[in-house]
Amino acid sequence: MADIPDEVIMQRVKDGNLAEMSVLFERYHLRLYNFFLKLTRNRDISQDLTQNLFYRMIKYKNSYKNEFSVKSWIYQMARNLHIDYCKEEKRTDELFLKTDSYPTDITDDSSGFPEEDYERLEHAFSALSIEQKEIIVLSRYQGLKYEEISPIVNQSVPAIKVAMHRAIKRLRSIYFKQI
Amino acid sequence: MKCEEVETKMIDYLDKNLEDSVCREIDLHLETCERCLDELRDTQKVLNFMSKDEMVKPDDSLRINFYHMLHSQLKKSEDTHASTIRKSSPPWYSFSGYRIAAGIALLVCGTFIGLLIKSSLSNSYASNELKQLHSEVSDLKKATMFTMLKEESSSDRIQAVSYAGDLDNADENVIEVLVKTLNNDKNVNVRMAAAYALSKFAGQRYVCDSLVKSLSLQSDPILQVTLINILAERKEKSALRTIQEIIANKSTLKEVRAVAENSLRVLI
Repeated sequence: MADIPDEVIMQRVKDGNLAEMSVLFERYHLRLYNFFLKLTRNRDISQDLTQNLFYRMIKYKNSYKNEFSVKSWIYQMARNLHIDYCKEEKRTDELFLKTDSYPTDITDDSSGFPEEDYERLEHAFSALSIEQKEIIVLSRYQGLKYEEISPIVNQSVPAIKVAMHRAIKRLRSIYFKQI
Repeated sequence: MKCEEVETKMIDYLDKNLEDSVCREIDLHLETCERCLDELRDTQKVLNFMSKDEMVKPDDSLRINFYHMLHSQLKKSEDTHASTIRKSSPPWYSFSGYRIAAGIALLVCGTFIGLLIKSSLSNSYASNELKQLHSEVSDLKKATMFTMLKEESSSDRIQAVSYAGDLDNADENVIEVLVKTLNNDKNVNVRMAAAYALSKFAGQRYVCDSLVKSLSLQSDPILQVTLINILAERKEKSALRTIQEIIANKSTLKEVRAVAENSLRVLI
């Protein structure tokens, strides 16, 4: 019973067993919250976006088509939510002002590298375009395979590889220029 | 291999996603090209930083808000379900819900007209009469609940349970019926509604004990999660042993175990 696939659970939700959505919540909320947190760098906004995402999953449950993986469907919606949020904000300057000072609990010594380096990486990361941030977050922070990212960003695997290469190159050059 | 080609394959090379023959070609190139070797080291450093990054935990309010939202969506979907059934199958008066609603309406109208007449005679009576009216409506709600809980349709039963949740205070009979519903109703959504209705009265010792006891009986993961959350929100220490048993139980769903372990932080 412990490993019912997401797709089976989602089908049950579509059939009217809304309560089963709690299983998907327990499986996904931590990653999704962190997906938003990397992109927005703001805890409150990330919490709101995560909350909103699960609301949309219930509201638009019928838009889920069985031939796709639930994971891709969820990340697709998460991506759209973030894009909508950026459009709404538009003023990137203001976005930057809303940024939390980075939570200390993840920059302590136990995480393996000094705080300074961490902040420098975050700073370099914030200089990337939204599309570049998205694929880096999905691939490197969320651990998704290129094949899984493909339907989320609606690009072929080779195109994602090229974009990934460019994004890391840019990140690398900004990061090491700061030293 | 040329520098350009090595550069585009660098991430796959570090991730060990390339065939052996390609890897050897890159190795060969790196032996002679200082520039590419530097780039490789820098890329590796950046990728290492990212792989060491740890997930940040959200506030507990995220989970609490989600379950509140889910509960209200459940109620809403049951309501729509009920109204479509009613629209499509006349005659409307054959449903006991309607008969009782009509009964309440008649009584309220009657009492209200009576009140109007009385209050025109003497204003001081009015507030007492209103209080009495309030308690009569409340009694009727209880009566409605007992009747509707016997209905076949699960939406009627959810409606009944939510009447109970609207009461300002619940007597022993109401609590007993809700506990029975929580433990025995065949529909998971009805049981969940009962859990939420009871959580409103969890200030009463008996109610709280019943919730803890019910947790040990429930095998449905949704109910387990709901009850653990209700008890953890109340910081109910008497639930500790039951929750630990759930964690120790091998057949517990791993999502439930995660919620249970999370609740220990508040309870210990």
